[in-house]
Amino acid sequence: MNLKWTSEKSLRLSRILTIAVLALAVIILFLIPLITQWYDDVSGKNPIMPVLTVCLYLSDILAIGALWELKTLLANISKQELFTERNTKCVRIISWCCFGLAAVFAVLSFWRLLALLVAIIAAFVGLILRVVKNMLVTATELREENDFTI
Amino acid sequence: MSIIVNLDVMMAKRKIAAGDLAERIDITPANLSILKNNKAKAVRFSTLEAICRELDCQPGDILEFVREDEK
Repeated sequence: MNLKWTSEKSLRLSRILTIAVLALAVIILFLIPLITQWYDDVSGKNPIMPVLTVCLYLSDILAIGALWELKTLLANISKQELFTERNTKCVRIISWCCFGLAAVFAVLSFWRLLALLVAIIAAFVGLILRVVKNMLVTATELREENDFTI
Repeated sequence: MSIIVNLDVMMAKRKIAAGDLAERIDITPANLSILKNNKAKAVRFSTLEAICRELDCQPGDILEFVREDEK
C-alpha cells in the first residue's frame, strides 16, 4: 500500500472535506429552528429567536453557496484547469459570500456583541479572497498571453 | 487587433500546405492555425524567422498594421 502523501491525495481530501461540510450546512438548514430555540433556552438573556433565525438562515444559505463554488473550484483544479475565468468567478463569489456573512453578523451584533467578532473575521477572509481573485485575474491574463504566443 | 497576420496569403503564393509549414517551422498545426486566424497575441522572433526562411519572404509580407478606424 502506498502511504506517500501526494498533491492528488491532498486534493481528494479537500474535496471530501468540502462535500462533508456542504452536507453539514444543508442539514443545519433544516435544524435552524431547533438551534435558535435551544440558544434562547440556554442563553438566559432577552430572547432573540426571530432575529437569530433570519440571520442563521441567511448565513447558512451564503455558506452553502460558498461551499458549492469551492466544490466547483476543486473539481476544476483536479481537471488541471487552474487559471481560468470560471475559477476567478468562483473565488469572486466565495469572497462576496464572506462579505455577505460579515454583513449578516454585523446586524446580529446589535443584539449579541460577540457576533461582531465573526463579522470581522468573515470580512477579513472576504478581503483576502478578493486579493486572491485579483491575482487570479492577472494569472489568467498571463496564461492566455503565454498560450497565444506562437 | 491592429496587427493583421497575412500568413494564409503568403502560404497560397508559395503553394504550401499548413501541415507542411507547421512541420518545417517546428510548431504544432494548432498553433499555426492560431497564427493564421489572427488569434495570436504575440509572435516569437524565432517563429517569425522560421516562417520567413521557409516562405522566403520578409516579416512585412506576413504582418500588416491596420488602424482600428480603417477596419
